[in-house]
Amino acid sequence: MINEVTPADASAALARIDQSRRQVIDEIDMPRWYWIGLALGWVALGVVADLERPVATFVATLAFGAAHAATSHHVMGGRHRTSGARISADVAGRSNPVIIGLCLIGLAILTAAGALATSADGTRHPVTTVSIFAAILLLLGGPHLMSAIRNRAHRASVPL
Amino acid sequence: MTRTVAKFDEIIHPTTRLSIVSMLAAVDWADFAFVRDHLELSDSALSKQLTTLEDAGYVSLQRTVSGGRRRVRIQLTTSGRTALQGHAAALRGLLDSADHEPQLGR
Repeated sequence: MINEVTPADASAALARIDQSRRQVIDEIDMPRWYWIGLALGWVALGVVADLERPVATFVATLAFGAAHAATSHHVMGGRHRTSGARISADVAGRSNPVIIGLCLIGLAILTAAGALATSADGTRHPVTTVSIFAAILLLLGGPHLMSAIRNRAHRASVPL
Repeated sequence: MTRTVAKFDEIIHPTTRLSIVSMLAAVDWADFAFVRDHLELSDSALSKQLTTLEDAGYVSLQRTVSGGRRRVRIQLTTSGRTALQGHAAALRGLLDSADHEPQLGR
C-alpha cells in the first residue's frame, strides 16, 4: 500500500497528525471558576487582613491556602479544562503549575507591597483596596497567562 | 530511549483513524464525546473506527457509568503509540526519498 501513497498524500497525512496535536493544545486552559474563586478569595483575605486581627488573618490565610491547594491541584497545569479529556503532560508542558504558582506568589508580594504603600498614605482599608486591584488582575490576566502557555506549547510542539 | 522504526501502517493511515490516533497520542485519555466533537464525527462513524483500532490493539476502551450516564473513555495503547510513531516516520521517509529522486535522476 505504501507504493500507492504519493508524496502529497504523505505530506497531507503528516499535516493531519500535527493538526490533531494542535487541536489538543488549543484545549489547554483552566476553568473560569478557578480565576473567579481565586479573585473572591483574594478580596476576602484582604478584608480579613484589614480587621487587624493577626490570629484571624493567620487562620484565613491558612484556610485560603488549604482551599486553593485542595481545588487547584486538579486544574493547575491547564490539562483538565473539561472533564472530557486529560491532556498529556508532555504536550501541555510539565512546568505549567510552577509558572502559574510563581505568578501567584508574585501577585501576593505585589499585594503586600501595595498594601504597605497605601497604608503609609493613610488609606482606611489598604489591603482590601489593593486586593480588589489584584482580583481584577487575576480575572483579566489569568486567561492571558493561559493563552501564553498555549502559545508556548504550540512553539514547543515537535513532530512525532 | 527506544529508536522509532519506520513502518507504514495500513490500519492507521486512513484519514479518520489517523486523526483519532493522533489526537489520542496527545492526551492521557479522552471521552468518546470529546473525540467525536473535535473530529466532527457521528457516533456510529467513531464507533466503527474505534472497533477497528481496538481489534488491532491500538486503543483501549473503558466503559463506565457516571451520574447515571454511560461514558466511554478511550486511551491509546503502547502499541498504538509505537505504530503511530512508526507510521509518521515512514511518511517522512517517503517525503525524504521523493525529495532526493530528481537529484538522482540528473
